[in-house]
Amino acid sequence: MLDTPVQVVAGVADGLLPPVVLGVTALTLLVIDTVRPDETSLALLGGVGAAGSLVAFGVAAALLAGGVDPTTVYGGAVMLDGTSLYFTLVFASVTALVSVASYDYLRGQDYAGEFYALVLFSATGMSLMAAANSLATAFVALELTSLPSYALVAFLKQNEGSSEAGLKYFLVGAVSSAVLVFGISLVYAATGALTFGAVAEGLTTADDLVGIVGLGVVMIAGGMAFKTAAVPFHFWAPEAYEGAPAPVSAFLSSASKAAGFALAFRVFVGAFPLDVLVPMGVDWVLIFQVLAVVTMTLGNFAAATQENVKRMLAYSSIGHAGYALIGLAALSADGPNGAVLGASMAHLFVYGFMNTGAFLFVAMVEHWGVGRTFEDYNGLATRAPMASVAMTVFMFSLAGLPPFGGFFSKYALFYAAVDSGFWWLAAVGAVNSALSLFYYSRVVRALWIEEPAVDLSLGRRPVGLYVAVVGAALATLLLLPAFGPVVETAQTVAATLF
Amino acid sequence: MAAFDFAPLIVLLPFAGFLVAVGAALTRPGVLPKGGALPGIAATVGSLLLSAWVALQVLAGDRAAETVYVWSAAPAAGVPELVFSLLLDPLAALMLLVVSLVALLVHVFSLGYMNDEGETGLPRYYAGLGLFTASMLGFVVAGNLLMAFVFFELVGLCSYLLIGFWFREPGPPSAAKKAFLVTRFGDYFFLVGLVGVFATFGTAAFAGPESFPVLAEAVLAGEASARTFGFEARTWFSVLGLLILGGVLGKSAQFPLHTWLPDAMEGPTPVSALIHAATMVAAGVYLVARVYGFYALLPTVLAVIALVGGFTALFAATMCVVKREIKQVLAYSTISQYGYMMLGLGAGGYVAATFHLLTHAMFKALLFLGAGSVIIAMHHDEDMWNMGGLREKMPVTYYTFLAGSLALAGIVPFSGFWSKDEVLYEALIHGLAGSPAVLVAYAMGLLAVLFTGFYTFRMVLLTFHGDPRTETARDPHGVGWSVKAPLVVLGVLATTAGALNAVPVHEVLGFPPEYLHDWLAHDGGQSAFAALTSEHYGELLKTQAGYASAEVSSVAAGLVSLALALVGAGAAVVLYRGPDPDPHTEKLGAARTVLYNNYYQDEYQAWLAESFVRPLARVLDGVDQGVVDGGVNAVSSVSLFSGRRLRYVQTGVVSNYAALLTLGLTALVVAAALVGGWFT
Repeated sequence: MLDTPVQVVAGVADGLLPPVVLGVTALTLLVIDTVRPDETSLALLGGVGAAGSLVAFGVAAALLAGGVDPTTVYGGAVMLDGTSLYFTLVFASVTALVSVASYDYLRGQDYAGEFYALVLFSATGMSLMAAANSLATAFVALELTSLPSYALVAFLKQNEGSSEAGLKYFLVGAVSSAVLVFGISLVYAATGALTFGAVAEGLTTADDLVGIVGLGVVMIAGGMAFKTAAVPFHFWAPEAYEGAPAPVSAFLSSASKAAGFALAFRVFVGAFPLDVLVPMGVDWVLIFQVLAVVTMTLGNFAAATQENVKRMLAYSSIGHAGYALIGLAALSADGPNGAVLGASMAHLFVYGFMNTGAFLFVAMVEHWGVGRTFEDYNGLATRAPMASVAMTVFMFSLAGLPPFGGFFSKYALFYAAVDSGFWWLAAVGAVNSALSLFYYSRVVRALWIEEPAVDLSLGRRPVGLYVAVVGAALATLLLLPAFGPVVETAQTVAATLF
Repeated sequence: MAAFDFAPLIVLLPFAGFLVAVGAALTRPGVLPKGGALPGIAATVGSLLLSAWVALQVLAGDRAAETVYVWSAAPAAGVPELVFSLLLDPLAALMLLVVSLVALLVHVFSLGYMNDEGETGLPRYYAGLGLFTASMLGFVVAGNLLMAFVFFELVGLCSYLLIGFWFREPGPPSAAKKAFLVTRFGDYFFLVGLVGVFATFGTAAFAGPESFPVLAEAVLAGEASARTFGFEARTWFSVLGLLILGGVLGKSAQFPLHTWLPDAMEGPTPVSALIHAATMVAAGVYLVARVYGFYALLPTVLAVIALVGGFTALFAATMCVVKREIKQVLAYSTISQYGYMMLGLGAGGYVAATFHLLTHAMFKALLFLGAGSVIIAMHHDEDMWNMGGLREKMPVTYYTFLAGSLALAGIVPFSGFWSKDEVLYEALIHGLAGSPAVLVAYAMGLLAVLFTGFYTFRMVLLTFHGDPRTETARDPHGVGWSVKAPLVVLGVLATTAGALNAVPVHEVLGFPPEYLHDWLAHDGGQSAFAALTSEHYGELLKTQAGYASAEVSSVAAGLVSLALALVGAGAAVVLYRGPDPDPHTEKLGAARTVLYNNYYQDEYQAWLAESFVRPLARVLDGVDQGVVDGGVNAVSSVSLFSGRRLRYVQTGVVSNYAALLTLGLTALVVAAALVGGWFT
């Protein structure tokens, strides 16, 4: 045990510190906003939000570097181990970027305090999702993540698009939560247990309940698909991302998606062991293979036809969910499962930076009021070269071109898939990546090659957005040399899940 | 091991100079005094001091082979690990000294040649010099073939940037492109060879028990095995050796890939000095010396190296004879002198070739800088027939240039004599003892001595002696200390460096010691480095390559080559002395046209490129456009089409989404149930 004041007072385990820090930050933000409701200082709120997430990042990184023994707390409901800390790194860094970037975006908006508090509450829920060790915790954490995000998507109350997107997101989310909780109840019915270890134990004697178990597993997979924006639960994503304030889109498409994957990895690896379920007739790997192929293909195909950059990014984010699903789809009874899952986790880590950065660039363009289509981006590089360089880095990295972080993470992912015998998954992924280059390079072409509109002028430089975008670009570049440690950590912590 | 801890700085300091110059050029041109020369000079001084420190440490018996950065850790057993590592041994320490010294002097000289002449774009120039120096130093300390390749390519890139420095004129960009393409052509083979080495041995390290030369030796002795792809081990190793040699021939400008080098004279003269003496061209020969433990196992490859070297030495020397421009003479003489080094390496004279690499670096840097001084004086006219009589006007340049020329011609006791003589001597004794190929190479090298003496003195006489032939030569532009100081330093070294290894004197008097032999011979008591010593190479040459030594007096051999050099020089003096020498080239008749056109080397290579490579490229382009791109385009038109369909699914009506979501889930459940057989 560390001996920080929080722990002395509340008896919090080491691994629980990051979520506690995030939660306390959220409450602090509420307090600040309550004390001075009329004169909210964006710098103070944004600073507290960013600082809180950076502290959470630092604590998680320190604990991870020091080596962690998996421990369970609260009667086995929460598991504190490398995986939970690793994903907390992703959430915390995205939260920090979004907090910094929102400083400019929220200028002139009411309820900035609530905005930051909701972001931080959602982040708290995410880090609990990554630590869930029981189906009940999983559901509660998922709702803790989702409910603030519905409000965040609808944050621009006067904006029809934002409100509409929020409502749709909420409705689809409600349906999906219903599906998830139904699935959980079926699994509980079959096994009489909620903690993952006990569920796995109970499944060994549930042979005659295969129908119930199978239905429950597929429905739980559906709940995960909602959170990760995978087919067929992806319908909310393009509209929510397009309607939401761009920093929120960044937050949802990076952190929230990663949280969905964190939970999916935990539930399926921990509670539904392959060597029990496959002989029984519930081959969830097959389900994820179908979902992965359909999701990446649909995401990329749809992205190729968009005229609106933000919507293109929304679909590309669905495509990336497909890539990350390979982490579950390429598992096998005796394959290099740790390597596969770890590669997917590493991809999510890199993706957190490059995708957040791309959405924040869109936020910056929205801030300038230039427009949303590819044509509106024409010649931006002549006015904002630095940010355009950053956007170019994000686009090429998302497409998986060397020498950017996204190249290595996709390479590791496809390599791991081939290594465990699923070469066709890697092949589908590679074809899709090649296709994605088409629409990503449209952005780059618009920025650098096309002539700007005659009267293009951008006005003020938003400091916070610039800092966040350039920071994300630097991280994307630095993840090229630093990818080794990241993927090694991911694969090490992933291996302990099995 | 203190000095070795700082060894990476030797490379990083000039790199930092490069960054400073680039940063200044991008942000505020003109912010750096002297256009960025001072950071470059400071960095190279630092590198020189550190190199000297490293050399002292090596002298004290220390060696090091350490990994600096793991580029890609081995993902599994049997997969090679890719690392950047330093190898600090006598050869590397010696070369570090040479490179950093020449780089420093070139930086200083550039103050006179570039700054004082009012050139623009100086930060770009000094950035290029800094990166060039850093790349070459990185190449010198490279501890494995992969890292060597990376820096080899960087060196090539820098030469491109610097040769094309005056990119607004028509000549330099085209020369830069040619240098880049021709050396790239050779490097392509090197790259294939590099991959081959990895595939064969699983490592590309130079030093240690797990290095590829040691492994190759063990394989040939039957003590280890390697993947040889169905070939007999020695045959396969020879293939690898020849592939790596491709890169060497390109960079060291050996026949037939020498054609880029004379054109490279389009670059600023200090850059030529750097390229020819210490960096780019030296890189090729240094690479062979670096992996000599591998080449010493392969008699066929050694014979090829010796023949190419001997032929290049002679072939390039003949072309020097008719050149009009002072830098052209020096360019072809560089090709010729590197031919000697290759001859030395191929003939089993590892120390001799290293020695010649060292002395040549001194006297060729001197000659180029001297030529640069003359070119400043002549207001950038390089034609020797417009010069004459510069001796009185620029005595410092004259005497130092003369020292360099005597060294180049191989006149006793200047440094070039001792090293060239030792190369020829090694070729002679090994050739006589049953290696006819080496003997043929020796004969060509010996004949080249005659031409060398001739063209060298023709150059000296036309430039400095006689009456001034133009108005410019009557009233030359003066040169400053920054030009003279490097000339004096190099002049002293070019005169005296031979004492490092005066073999014939040692044979007669038993004195002075053969410093260089001793320097390269021992492992400093560290057996891990025993395989990198000239003692070990000698052993390999005897047992593996079958080289024996005939008993010949080194004094007699030295006298023969000295006599030839004197005859050549004498002929030049006879023909070109006097106040107003005649051009005698007409007397050569048809041979003169051939020589003027450099044996039509450029023409036939251009012909090859146009009649074979271009049609082939066209066919491949057709395949690429039609088949590959066609496939990709087909995929994307399918995807665009179906992408548009998908937009209809995304209707915007949320109840549709709920319905589709439910249908999708149901389809999944039904499919999973059917596959899993839940209902049976």
